[in-house]
Amino acid sequence: MKKLSAILMPALGKIPGATEARAPEFLDFLLGQSPADRQQLYRAGLDQLNVKAKKQFNQSFAEVDASQADTLLAPLREPWTHEPPKDPLARFLRAAKQDVRTATVNSREYSVAGAATARRSFGSGGFYWYPLG
Amino acid sequence: MPSKEYDVLIIGSGASGGMAAHTLTKKGVDCVMLDAGPLVDFNRVRGPKAVYELPYRGFGKPGRLPHVVQANEYNANQWVDETEVPYTHDPASPYNWVRVRMVGGKSLFWARMSFRLSDYEFKAKDHDGFGENWPISYADLAPFYDRVDPIFRVAGRKEGLKQLPDGLFLEDDSPWSGAMQRFIGAAKQRDIPVTKMRRSTGRGQFASSFNLLLPDALETGKLTIVPNAVVREITVDKNTGKVNGAIFHDRESKREMHVKAKAVVVGASCLESTRILLNSKIANSSGALGHYLHDQTYISQGVFAIVPEAKDGKAPRGLMGGGGYVPRFVNLKKGNEENFIRGYAFDFSTGGTPDPKYIPAYGADLEKALNTYRGAGVSVTIMGEVLPRYENAATIDKNAVDAWGIPALHIQARYSDNEAKMLKHAMDTFEQLCHTAGFETLSKHDQPHPPGYSIHELGTCRMGDDPKKSVLNKWNQSHDIKNLFVVDGSSFVTGGYQNPTMTILALSMRASEYLAERLRTGNV
Repeated sequence: MKKLSAILMPALGKIPGATEARAPEFLDFLLGQSPADRQQLYRAGLDQLNVKAKKQFNQSFAEVDASQADTLLAPLREPWTHEPPKDPLARFLRAAKQDVRTATVNSREYSVAGAATARRSFGSGGFYWYPLG
Repeated sequence: MPSKEYDVLIIGSGASGGMAAHTLTKKGVDCVMLDAGPLVDFNRVRGPKAVYELPYRGFGKPGRLPHVVQANEYNANQWVDETEVPYTHDPASPYNWVRVRMVGGKSLFWARMSFRLSDYEFKAKDHDGFGENWPISYADLAPFYDRVDPIFRVAGRKEGLKQLPDGLFLEDDSPWSGAMQRFIGAAKQRDIPVTKMRRSTGRGQFASSFNLLLPDALETGKLTIVPNAVVREITVDKNTGKVNGAIFHDRESKREMHVKAKAVVVGASCLESTRILLNSKIANSSGALGHYLHDQTYISQGVFAIVPEAKDGKAPRGLMGGGGYVPRFVNLKKGNEENFIRGYAFDFSTGGTPDPKYIPAYGADLEKALNTYRGAGVSVTIMGEVLPRYENAATIDKNAVDAWGIPALHIQARYSDNEAKMLKHAMDTFEQLCHTAGFETLSKHDQPHPPGYSIHELGTCRMGDDPKKSVLNKWNQSHDIKNLFVVDGSSFVTGGYQNPTMTILALSMRASEYLAERLRTGNV
């Protein structure tokens, strides 16, 4: 998951990526509290990535290089459809792309870096509703 | 509760209940209002937080509000807890029942889109043969719309369109951006009208019953508001057959209490009102109670297009920005119909940035594409009329109760072929207009959110002239029980493509004035 996250949201210049924002660790926490089908999506998806990596490149996904990773992540270069893809790996990659991005952009690290560059607004804030009681 | 008998018990404090209180108290009617939720101090119940301070970084607690797409981690606590007030549906036919329980109701959070229905809706059966006509016409309700508009301070632009009657607007004469002018030019080639959004501006931070209706009602000295009062059922005098109050539970202690009144006005929001009547086992000699549930189909970002001249941050000043509204333009003339009946609207805007999901890339390539498209977007929400069908219904689920032991609803609703054909037509038409305007399509789809997403649930307690086919008469008065009125969206016969709040407010005002007169003459 760390390898995948770093590919989906790499650090770009002074803007932190998923690794710096500790997005994989946060997603691990989030998935631990998520419904079973969401956990299964991730579990099966990561397993599939490893199976394909071993089959094509004789390595685990964590060990492949950038070009090999791009081959394995080909489903993310398919045009978007409203219906989720039928292929479980493609479905997982679509979910992971969104989740890793959100976990990164919503991190303290990303927000602090955005404030420092002052080029555009980063992260977000809002009015939080406390429990009504 | 004291043993005082009020003139009128109002159940619900949102748009419909609030308007009933506003109208009745000004006529000198002594009212008590029950609301299931608390009276909230908005300065204390909310506080600024950065997204990274939230426990789930903005994702929200997983599985907490599975039916509320509109929920996020910031606002999760403002929606009704689905475990506390459950409902059921067939897993194959999801229904998103979105609820608020606090004084002011959903009128605290609505998007404020403010439209009038037309005779294309009030007399829909005359036009295309489906369903029933309302027992009233636009002319009957127009005077009440005219009185609602200034209270809510509706902004808009007069267009003279029969399918979207004009209101008494704070006139919106703001200019169109360049992109908007191109779109309007494309629409004009096909006689498709484009107008400014019509929106309640309200006062201060709210356009709500809370700040626009209840304060005036309280000032009369004729309104008692009882928050945290969860109504179980409306009670009936066995001797007269008339309603005489309601049993309710204190929300926190769950203690059961009763309040007495000479008449009851139900404005608890469409499905909650119907639930109360079903649990009370009253007002249903027609068999129509609970049936003909409908709302509007909603497609978010049905089309996302890019204005080429705005890519890479190169938009000249005045090209991007602003949005517009396209009201129903199909099936207005007999003999010129599409392969579906009724119509839809576009609510669209320019100047946005596409969701990364639409871009088939990741990593640095995705960031590069987002930088190219930033601020260059044109996006549309499609809203379509849903046909009211008998089989789309809310019934009582005997196997499910809420936290106060009150039987829950089972909701059965499905969109049909008419809705599917309409939405495909809508998506194709918007894309064609973008193409004519010189925009590039980035993504498109014609799949609506589940029924209920619109938060415009309507029907289930419909009005009509025939007591065998309707629950209420043309005054929102129960056919069966003359001192019982239902004034919210449940009274609708058909909902059109227009957001319903202005119509709900107008109906509630009209029904309340009728009731006030009947109380004055002793005819209740």
